[in-house]
Amino acid sequence: MSDEQNRQRFEMLALPHLDAAFNIARWLTRNDDDARDVVQDAFVRAMRYFGGFRGDNARAWLLQIVRHTCFTWLRENRSAELTTIDDDDESFPELQAPAADEPQAVVQRRFERAEIDRAIASLPIAFREVFVLRELEDLSYTDIARIADVPIGTVMSRLSRARALMRRALVPVNRPALRTVPKSIRNGERA
Amino acid sequence: MTADHDPREIHAFVDDELDLKTRLEMESRLEADADLRAQVDSVRRLRQAVREGASYHVAPAGLAAAIFDKPPAPATKPEPSRREPSHPGRWLSWFAWRPVMATAFAAVLVASGAQYVLLQARQEGALADEVIASHVRSTLGDHLVDIASSDHHVVKPWLSSKLDFSPPIGDEMVGGAKFVGGRLDYLGQRPVAALVYRAGGHVAEVFVWPDKGADRKVQYRDDRGFQIAHWSRNGMAHWVISDVSREAFVGFVEAVAAVEGPR
Repeated sequence: MSDEQNRQRFEMLALPHLDAAFNIARWLTRNDDDARDVVQDAFVRAMRYFGGFRGDNARAWLLQIVRHTCFTWLRENRSAELTTIDDDDESFPELQAPAADEPQAVVQRRFERAEIDRAIASLPIAFREVFVLRELEDLSYTDIARIADVPIGTVMSRLSRARALMRRALVPVNRPALRTVPKSIRNGERA
Repeated sequence: MTADHDPREIHAFVDDELDLKTRLEMESRLEADADLRAQVDSVRRLRQAVREGASYHVAPAGLAAAIFDKPPAPATKPEPSRREPSHPGRWLSWFAWRPVMATAFAAVLVASGAQYVLLQARQEGALADEVIASHVRSTLGDHLVDIASSDHHVVKPWLSSKLDFSPPIGDEMVGGAKFVGGRLDYLGQRPVAALVYRAGGHVAEVFVWPDKGADRKVQYRDDRGFQIAHWSRNGMAHWVISDVSREAFVGFVEAVAAVEGPR
């Protein structure tokens, strides 16, 4: 196969994932211009390593390179953002039982786009990465584990923590502490 | 109270990532445990709010051209990655091995494909049983609809507020049947929308839910006197059931499928 054919094959395979690549780079760098540079760099790398691609799951293969390029770029340019996460830290507040009125509050409120974007952008990067791959790219845990280069168990705990942080950012903080709930409400029906 | 739940399991449940056994255990616990249900609901709502509300950054115009009009850069240093160790000779040999690999791939594909087809047929049979059971229950008892209205502007928002998707609903009359309302139901281990139609004394129900699989053409079957059709399109699975005649049923199914636009 000639270089040109190889290049065409790469283009056919990679082009459909350009938006996903940009979306991830944009959420990780939080900046359009940086995301553009990173994606361009990642695609050049991907083209170079195309020979090592075994033909399965082009999306995960490509996004793994994009993710890797993003982190290399962040290390060189914004190393302060790459704080390490202790995935075994059990003391981290996980999903607490929601207050009885919370689901109502969440369902009744229409969230502003800016509000949600801000909450995602403020997640620590290790959580943000897993959260964006799951919620915006709709990738399976297996694919996320491959792209983020962590075990599936870590994907699960990071996702759980990311969502707990998101909820805390979105749901008003002045909700009452857990209290005894009348039986009628606990059964999900309001008299 | 449920202090003993692994929160990761709740998230994996919502994400449809649990293995079947754990999933079934979770479902039976859910039925008994209101707190657990509240937690699952809370995760679902957050998920929906994010998926509907968050910005998705598509690649700016010109980025594709900037990337693909560039000649490939000469290889410099290998990527420091475990998964794609790369040196110049490597991909040449990959291309040389391609015919052999292709045959091996094909054999694996055929084998797994056959198993997949069998599995799918079994799942479809089980689902058809569930659809019939649900239809019979709803027509036997007095619980055909949760929301009685022929106005899809009323039923659609009501259903989408209860579910994590929005079912496609057409006009008041579809293929000679009158739309009488919607119901929440539970099929294939997930909540689904049931859309109820009446034509004369007959009831037809359309069950809809999101389906990640590929589009599939309409397939008909009849079972215990019921006409059943199912298909997947635009990420939605549809199962239709009624006790009308085969001809009337086919006309109705085509009209329902047309609600989503021409093929």
